[in-house]
Amino acid sequence: MGAAAVALLLAAAVAPAADPEAGRRKAQVCAACHGPDGNATIPGTPSLAGQPVFFTHWQLIKYRDGRRKDPQMSPLAEKLDDADMADLAAFYAAQPPRARPAATDAARVAAGRQLAELHHCTSCHRPGLTGQQQAARLAGQDFDYLLRLLRGFKARTASDLDGTMTVATQPLQDDEIVSLVHFLASLGAETRR
Amino acid sequence: MRPVTHISLVVMLALAPASPAVAQAPPPWKQGQPADLANSTLAPIAQPPGPAAASEIPVDKIKVPRGFKVSLWASGINNARAMVWGDNGTLFVSSRVAGNVYAVLDRGGRREVKVIAKGLNLPNGVAFKDGTLYVAEVSRITKMPGIEAKLDSPPTPEVVYDILPRDLPHGWKYLAFGPDGKLYFNIGAPCNICQPPDTHANISRVNVDGSGFEYVAHGVRNSVGFDWHPVTKELYFATHGRDWLGDDAPSDRLDVAAKKGLHFGFPYCHQGDIPDPDFAQGRSCGEFAPPLLKTGPHVAGNGVQFYTGSTFPPEYRNRIFLAQRGSWNRSEKVGFRVMMVTLRPRDVPKYEVFAEGWLQGDQIWGRPVYTQQMKDGSRLIADDYAGAIYRVAYQP
Repeated sequence: MGAAAVALLLAAAVAPAADPEAGRRKAQVCAACHGPDGNATIPGTPSLAGQPVFFTHWQLIKYRDGRRKDPQMSPLAEKLDDADMADLAAFYAAQPPRARPAATDAARVAAGRQLAELHHCTSCHRPGLTGQQQAARLAGQDFDYLLRLLRGFKARTASDLDGTMTVATQPLQDDEIVSLVHFLASLGAETRR
Repeated sequence: MRPVTHISLVVMLALAPASPAVAQAPPPWKQGQPADLANSTLAPIAQPPGPAAASEIPVDKIKVPRGFKVSLWASGINNARAMVWGDNGTLFVSSRVAGNVYAVLDRGGRREVKVIAKGLNLPNGVAFKDGTLYVAEVSRITKMPGIEAKLDSPPTPEVVYDILPRDLPHGWKYLAFGPDGKLYFNIGAPCNICQPPDTHANISRVNVDGSGFEYVAHGVRNSVGFDWHPVTKELYFATHGRDWLGDDAPSDRLDVAAKKGLHFGFPYCHQGDIPDPDFAQGRSCGEFAPPLLKTGPHVAGNGVQFYTGSTFPPEYRNRIFLAQRGSWNRSEKVGFRVMMVTLRPRDVPKYEVFAEGWLQGDQIWGRPVYTQQMKDGSRLIADDYAGAIYRVAYQP
């Protein structure tokens, strides 16, 4: 594997347009962790429901290419072709997202809301942090997952499509990352102390 | 002199705010946006995650001058960007966010595409010499000797030069061999508009073994396409202008570096005659080399290549093909076409469209980003949006 891995594509190959119903069937193997409709319940596992098509598709490509690594995702993504990825991304984008339960702290949420403004998170992730194009939906995402990923970007160890997140997280102190995550996890979810 | 360091990273970390009261720079594409445009919805065009299927690529929409014919030469090449030929007829194709380098083989009427490297850091630059492929990522140049004999088991890339800045904004590189046998590449400004570190906003070169680093041109915001005049051997390069100065300013530019060490104005002066509203700092546009040609605002000129073939009409000889990937920071889209530039002694170059049609109304279906000449004199155009390569041949 590694550099020896070679993909063969023919110029004449015809990939069908994305099919969310085919995606639903192909997503059966994903359901155990991400939920049958992409709303995960396992702490640390991200929800995929309502994620922009480009976001899910790009993440799968990165897993298959080895740029993003995960003991469970990497072997699964290796078996997917481009059409599988497009179908899965279309399926998850069409599923209504539900906020993950999170014990968020009101003071932290307020601080995180300011930080999100200050650090221009909404420039790419949209007002409401609902995501667009290749930028993930963050509103109501799993607390532990957001924390792990933001810390990873800050440490320059998380896979980044074009460097935007790595650059954006460098000025953040860990305490600020925690507050941001409280805010993001609180969106659309019950807020309690 | 140790020419290139990770200065901007060091500075960035040293200046990291200790309190949340310090505002952070916005994402690079939004940086420099004036207050009166704060509600603008303009944002970079997202790169599709996968290539378009051959059946979905409307090649017939590409318009070229009379006598020329366009065909879809290869497809399914995610994020296809710069192209370079191997000695034995392999076309090597770079990508940017896809992280891949491809080898395309012509199998008599169909093209076979192999991924020969993946997971690279924005590997936009590919160059080839004496059987060896060179690849430029953000902070390093690597090589794969004897690659054409090993396409199915490509070697691990060997480092040629790896002390380039790690900044990601404008960190991807064009790479080409100059007539002097040196490897040329850009070190872009790490921002839309800023006072760049002395190490950035230039075109640089190293010897083929990585020794002898030198700056060639200064004050170049980001040039990801250049070539040398077939006769005069002077360096011609395209530069993307800054964003957020409005729909019609500043113009992108095409420049010629008649000698080493010229300064082309960034960040003080744009398009040769617009002082930057924040960074001109008493500097005058007259201090800097003016553009050879203003190529238009936001057009995003990438690939620059002279025509040296003999199957296009004679007037095409030594013309520049300039691929324009197209605008995002403009209310009405422009670019998304391949222009041609005819140089004229002591006169402004003639500037006209060669291929267009990727932009239909306000919708785009492709983005021409680099061109490359085939042995038979026809021209390949890479489209990083559709993940395709087109061939334009003269068939009157």
